[in-house]
Amino acid sequence: MTFLAELAINGALVGLMYALVASGIVLVYKSSGVVNLAQGGFVMAGAYLVWAYIARLGLGLIPGILAAAASMGALGWLTERLALRRMIGQPVIMILMLTFGLEVVLRGAVPGALGADTKPMPIPISQAPVWLGDILINRTYILGGAVAVVMVALLAVFFRTRAGIAMRAVSDDHLAAWAVGIPVERTVALSWAVSGAVAAVTGVLWGAVQGVDWSLSLLLIKALSVAVLGGLDSLSGVVLAGLIVGVFESVISGYVDPFVGGGTREVVAAVVIFLTVLIRPYGLFGREVIERV
Amino acid sequence: MTDTVARAHEAGKTFANPGVSGAGQAARPAPLLAVHNVEVIYDKVFLAIKGVSLEVPEGAIVALLGSNGAGKSTTLKAISGLLGPERGQVTKGTVRWRGQDITRLSPPARVRLGIAQVLEGRRVFEHLTPEENLIAASTPIGNARRVRELVQMVYDYFPRLYERRNAKAGYLSGGEQQMLAIGRALMAEPRLLLLDEPSLGLAPVLVEEIFRIVQRINQEQGVSVLLVEQNARAALDVASYGYLMEDGRVRMDGPAEVLKANPDIQEFYLGGGAGRTSYRDVKHYRRRKRWLA
Repeated sequence: MTFLAELAINGALVGLMYALVASGIVLVYKSSGVVNLAQGGFVMAGAYLVWAYIARLGLGLIPGILAAAASMGALGWLTERLALRRMIGQPVIMILMLTFGLEVVLRGAVPGALGADTKPMPIPISQAPVWLGDILINRTYILGGAVAVVMVALLAVFFRTRAGIAMRAVSDDHLAAWAVGIPVERTVALSWAVSGAVAAVTGVLWGAVQGVDWSLSLLLIKALSVAVLGGLDSLSGVVLAGLIVGVFESVISGYVDPFVGGGTREVVAAVVIFLTVLIRPYGLFGREVIERV
Repeated sequence: MTDTVARAHEAGKTFANPGVSGAGQAARPAPLLAVHNVEVIYDKVFLAIKGVSLEVPEGAIVALLGSNGAGKSTTLKAISGLLGPERGQVTKGTVRWRGQDITRLSPPARVRLGIAQVLEGRRVFEHLTPEENLIAASTPIGNARRVRELVQMVYDYFPRLYERRNAKAGYLSGGEQQMLAIGRALMAEPRLLLLDEPSLGLAPVLVEEIFRIVQRINQEQGVSVLLVEQNARAALDVASYGYLMEDGRVRMDGPAEVLKANPDIQEFYLGGGAGRTSYRDVKHYRRRKRWLA
């Protein structure tokens, strides 16, 4: 029983950190209806930048993170400005391929420029575990889960403000948004910038968990499964889906891995995408296509 | 038959485009909106409107009539600047707002000048509530208190929207969505409202109600209206002046009363006329008329 609880609690915390990665995807999808397949690369680049600013340039912890968030915000903004804006009106598949191409480029270019070996994320989190009764909890996960909850809550508040409502309006209907005077391009660029900054913060957390190297970009798969299950445009959906994916992944791999020699963790995410698309294509809280008769 | 044709010609000459002749008279103040000889090409090949000129004086309701594909919506989009996403371009002519050339201005900039378009098919933000729809459309307004006043004003004109303010806009009835689309356009405090087929798919009672409200908005707020309609009877009842488009050109224009009395308009657009019953005859007659015109 303790073993199950331990798996579930750690899994839930990891799930919240997945939700944070996925929230970057949701943010861009909510404003422009584009699924950003480069989000994994963004997180990896964010982690690399934090490492580079702190370990190479000698910035302090907080300035380093802020500088990385600003740089990633600029990268997100540039991505929209230079690449996606030219794609307005193009078929969805072309836009998807563009963002996926960016993911591949980031995966190759960032480790190529800053070193491919795994680096420790230079933030002072004690490796000593936290005991909750008999249950062992990873300290980094607790911090990660807490940061994830705060960030997602901040985003949720943002979507209730006027700028946030305008952003949601843009995602509903570009032309109508334009017609009522919402600067659509600027709104979409803003969502990309915020999504980039969120990726940097996410990169810090995940870099602290598994070290900084190219494999951080594989979070894309986890984030996609969480975002798809949550419904792509719903923040509360993403949190719930993150918890579900995290707990299942942790519990299933905890019990099954000893028999199959590991690797079930990766399978869970894939199965989640698969089942969601088959059974509930718009996810848990995703907006259904409204068909009025 | 030749007799009718001759009369149509005469009518066309008598009221030929006041906008064009007005350009010569230096003393006249510039009208609120003057479209001069505008040509629009889609996708660089399809010529949609061929030298359209029209004027909307301050405070007037002007109707733009014509059948499907005559180029009415294209004309409106040339005025509001929304041709871009459909790969249309104004290749000739000018759109002037109080004398200022706005032909190349971005849509949000035109909204800030005071031009608001209600798109064909309503295009409300389906996943936002009516209240959020209104707030999203208040982006050009800086002052938060003014936004609340405007929302209240819209609710005063359309009490039904107040009752349904917390439902998802996608689930409103067609009439309610049309009211929301008009209310949304009012949120930017426009001086000119471009209405594209507000009667589309609505019961006659509702059409009457909506047109009555549009008339009230025109009188009480001093908002000028350019009304695109296939429902010529309803449009000419509220408008003071009308233009008739056919095949990408303005075919005829004049005061609403004169247009209503014109036998050709009665026959083709008001459903009255000389008692021709066979559609084939009508079609043949129409085609012949187009060649002669």
